[in-house]
Amino acid sequence: MIEFRDVHASYDADIKVLDGVSFQIQDGEFVAFVGTNGAGKSTTMRLMNGLLKPDAGVVLIDGVPTTQLKTSQIARQVGFLFQNPDSQICSNTVREELLFGFKALGEVGPDAEARVDGVIKEFGFDPDDDPFLLNRGTRQLLALASIVVLAPPVVILDEPTTGLDYKECVKVMDIIRRLHEAGTTIVMVCHDMEVVGDFAKRVVVMSQGGVVDDGPTFDVLRNPQTLTRASLIPPQIVDISLALPLVDERLATSPLAFANTTDEMQAAIAQEVC
Amino acid sequence: MIQIDDLTFRYRESEHPVVEGITLDIPDGCFVGITGAAGSGKSTLTYAMNGIIPHCYPGDFYGSVTIDGMDTCDVSLTDISQVVGSVCQDIDSQIVTSIVEDEVLYGLENFGVPHDQIEERVTEALQSMGIEDLRHRVIASLSGGQKQKIAIASVLALHPKVLMLDEPTAELDPASSRAVFQLLSRYAWEHGTTVVVVEQKIALLSEFADMLVIVDGGTIRFADEPRAVLAHSEELLKLGVNCPRSTTLMNRLAGVGLYEGPVCCDVQEATSALMEVIA
Repeated sequence: MIEFRDVHASYDADIKVLDGVSFQIQDGEFVAFVGTNGAGKSTTMRLMNGLLKPDAGVVLIDGVPTTQLKTSQIARQVGFLFQNPDSQICSNTVREELLFGFKALGEVGPDAEARVDGVIKEFGFDPDDDPFLLNRGTRQLLALASIVVLAPPVVILDEPTTGLDYKECVKVMDIIRRLHEAGTTIVMVCHDMEVVGDFAKRVVVMSQGGVVDDGPTFDVLRNPQTLTRASLIPPQIVDISLALPLVDERLATSPLAFANTTDEMQAAIAQEVC
Repeated sequence: MIQIDDLTFRYRESEHPVVEGITLDIPDGCFVGITGAAGSGKSTLTYAMNGIIPHCYPGDFYGSVTIDGMDTCDVSLTDISQVVGSVCQDIDSQIVTSIVEDEVLYGLENFGVPHDQIEERVTEALQSMGIEDLRHRVIASLSGGQKQKIAIASVLALHPKVLMLDEPTAELDPASSRAVFQLLSRYAWEHGTTVVVVEQKIALLSEFADMLVIVDGGTIRFADEPRAVLAHSEELLKLGVNCPRSTTLMNRLAGVGLYEGPVCCDVQEATSALMEVIA
């Protein structure tokens, strides 16, 4: 479990980035953090994996403050996928890149080699490829694979789909979904509300360094006050569903006013028309 | 403004052409959105439009690209850059100074803009992107989104006839992304600027672009107004281009005979169309 208790953080004494943030993430959850640029999402992620320490308050991983944990201890618990894979990739071959985490943790051995082989097969990589010659989407997959291979119980993803085309996005998110189904806790910062709606089970909304809403995905994304307060644009089907009763208030009780997905909306329309 | 005639280009180190047989005519003042899967050739196409190809990347170049009457093969990259302003996808590779004001000044000084015009140009460019308050800030202290606006403002200050942007909203939240497109659209309309944007966020292109270009396998599969292109949502999906969900919903309803109107490009159009369907 990850817990923030009244966490304050800043990069500069004059500019507070987090101002009293508190939440808990239970094992096995899939949580998306959303909000505008500068809301404090990425800072929250960096505090979660120990890259930053709080100015005040406490960040706990399984009940232990991050200030009392070594970086290597946190790394075993929390994997971190940077937004830009080039911030992460540092080896000359795909195989070396996948082994890098084990080397950093001092855990190279037959078990590590076997896990790397398994991930190479699962992701369909060529182990001898030069990572820096791969396209952006494949580098993103490699960065994700280098986290997956270490099998941390928590995986943090900072904008995992930025810069990817639709097919690459589907591939990356399918792997993340499978990780979650296998029991991994997923914490994701994401600006793509369609991705958030499709995958996250819970959404935490941040604005100006604080948490302004936190709950089941569509409860949050359908809350007009939250959308206004955090300048959020909901997934398009939710947006339509929220707009329809405003055009005709008789639709307020129709299934149309509660549809969250394209399938749900299509079914609701068919029902309404018939 | 831009005429591409049967363009084929193969990078020297590549076995096959990356773009092949491309013909495209972009009128003055047109707002063009280019999209397609990774590796489809859309970046190469933009390099051909801002002169990077053939001036920086060696290779086999067939056909012609004409910008504002200049054949890109017959003029220097400097000549082309006087007409085409480009904003890179990797903003950090474009920013060369440490203070916002200096960054906007850099291009103006390099272009030899008369001294008495500089203050007005800097102020106008910063205002057009809504970042006047950042004028004296240290760039390293700003967010990725703010840096993207600075890079765009620095190019706008040069008053290019063509503005070319590669994923200008990659690091922006949805509201800021939309705000950037609104600013670009308004600027282009006010100044008659031709805008070419490479973008994966097709919902933004659908809403703001006059022409949507879909590149696949080094060729143009569609080049038309967004409404005409989005009518092919099933085919686009196979090409790795996912239509806005409002479009997909209405196309699906059209497919089962529940909707007979025009293709919807955004949430507002879909909402209005749905009200008619229900009525």
